[in-house]
Amino acid sequence: MNPVAVTGMVKINSKDMDSIISNLNEHIREMRFIHDLEKLAIVGVGLLLSDADIHFPVGSTDISLYIGIDNAIEGIKDEYFNSVITYGILGSSPLLFPFTSPNALTARISIAFDIRGESITIPVKYSCDDVIEYAIECITGRYSRMAIAGGIMSSGLRNKGLRAEFSLLEDMKRAKERVACVYQHIDAMDNPNNRE
Amino acid sequence: MKNAVVITGIGLVSPIKPFMGVDIFWDALCSGEDAIKRAAPPVLDMDRKWLMAGIDMSGSQAGLQSGCPEDKLQSLAEEALNRAMMDANLEGNLTIGLTIGTVLGNILLKEKRLIRNKGGNITGETEMESLSYINSFLKAKYGLKGPGISVSTACASGTDAIGIASRKIIAGRSDIMIAGGVDVLSDFAVIGFHSLQALTEKKVQPFDKNRSGLALGEGAAFIVLEAEEKAVKRGARIYGKVLGYASRADAHHLTGPHREGRGLTDAINQAMFQANLKPHEIDYINAHGTGTVYNDMMETKAIKASFGDVAYNIPISSTKSMLGHSIGAAGVIEAICCLLSIKTKVIHPTINFEERDPECDLDYVPNKARQEEVKIAMSLSAGFGGQNSAIIFGKS
Repeated sequence: MNPVAVTGMVKINSKDMDSIISNLNEHIREMRFIHDLEKLAIVGVGLLLSDADIHFPVGSTDISLYIGIDNAIEGIKDEYFNSVITYGILGSSPLLFPFTSPNALTARISIAFDIRGESITIPVKYSCDDVIEYAIECITGRYSRMAIAGGIMSSGLRNKGLRAEFSLLEDMKRAKERVACVYQHIDAMDNPNNRE
Repeated sequence: MKNAVVITGIGLVSPIKPFMGVDIFWDALCSGEDAIKRAAPPVLDMDRKWLMAGIDMSGSQAGLQSGCPEDKLQSLAEEALNRAMMDANLEGNLTIGLTIGTVLGNILLKEKRLIRNKGGNITGETEMESLSYINSFLKAKYGLKGPGISVSTACASGTDAIGIASRKIIAGRSDIMIAGGVDVLSDFAVIGFHSLQALTEKKVQPFDKNRSGLALGEGAAFIVLEAEEKAVKRGARIYGKVLGYASRADAHHLTGPHREGRGLTDAINQAMFQANLKPHEIDYINAHGTGTVYNDMMETKAIKASFGDVAYNIPISSTKSMLGHSIGAAGVIEAICCLLSIKTKVIHPTINFEERDPECDLDYVPNKARQEEVKIAMSLSAGFGGQNSAIIFGKS
């Protein structure tokens, strides 16, 4: 059985966003964002796809998204409901409401890059280890061919912005076929579904 | 060798006969009982009322001991989890994991905090407001030592929680997984859906020509999943088997579904592929069926695209005409309906069906339950952000 290859990695902080975005391609530079979290998610995945040498828009179900998010989303909910309290039911923004659900970030990534595979958002507490583990299981279980796995975190970063970390995971055989740069390989866990 | 995953326990609390057990719930649902009523949201003092399906907690055993509405999420989840665990007769030293789908978590707690702080500092959320809290809380309280995953994929959260749990068993991560979904009615959700003009002012009429929107609901539902081999060994009662599951993104729009149902078609096709099934082998589809113009149209198109002419022969029904839309819980409640159809050979109706829509021209089991043998049933979920999930259950 082939191990899982890590063929792309990115780690960014929201404080560095402006300098990063100016170096990205036009497709991303011209996007309009409702919220900083959305911007961080899209810029992070844009960098990741470039790093993994995957062209976008992807336009297929080949890549899946497994995205973790901690309490960073709670601030949007607070902002939304505080508007309701202050200005009444018409004081709330219909544009902001969808962003009160964490899957909006995953959805915006899927829309921005036309990624049509699995789309799973996992609320996490401190780390995205569970997210990465599930993404690996989805590749070894052959539910997904490639996976963008990682997350957006605010924990422990008070006044230091938000951070996003994403990896591109794929079957080692596939990575070799497309001559991808392999940063690391992960020996797939003993998955009974994959015993030869 | 692939582990087959079976369901050995179910438990739910829904707006219909909430604390009276699954059999009474099922009889009421099949008789077309409508739980949707006009009511005010729970926390803010508002004159305005909307159609919604709420749960009166007075019959709860896990109970709202304090009488505080912010405990409702926890109480509903505990009640349904307890019922599922008892139904599965779980005993001994088993590794049990937990996946829970929720979209808003303990939103009532947040509403109360923000109202208290009106005009002031909006920071300072508590640990209990976190979406992962309910999973951590229940795992600790019930000593569940297996994997714990929270899922928040909008209205597909419950279905994805079951799919993830079944994959954890297939991957050998846990002997047993409990998968569930929970969400409560809140001012937050009512106002949000109202602002998007998604709520009906008349009645919930899935697939009807005059459908005008959804009504929000609430609830909690859990199912116990385990590897077939181990379930048989411990003599567990088996409701059915998970045959296939898939999630797919529309990659189209943040709130509206892809008009041709592209993502849902992909999800159905992938779940069918995993289950190694042909279209004529599906006996029943429990639809997402919200009663909104676009969902029901795209869902019909997706079913036709996946099943071809066979689509016209498959009975399809929507629980949301009676229970409203319980968001994170909906997918699990609907999965339980599929399992109960397999068990009882009855398909629940889609109520309030009055006029046929030329664009929704399939068999939606209008207004009256139907006796029919169901060996294989599919449940569909779709949600904001272009979420789409399909899961297939079969007779064991």
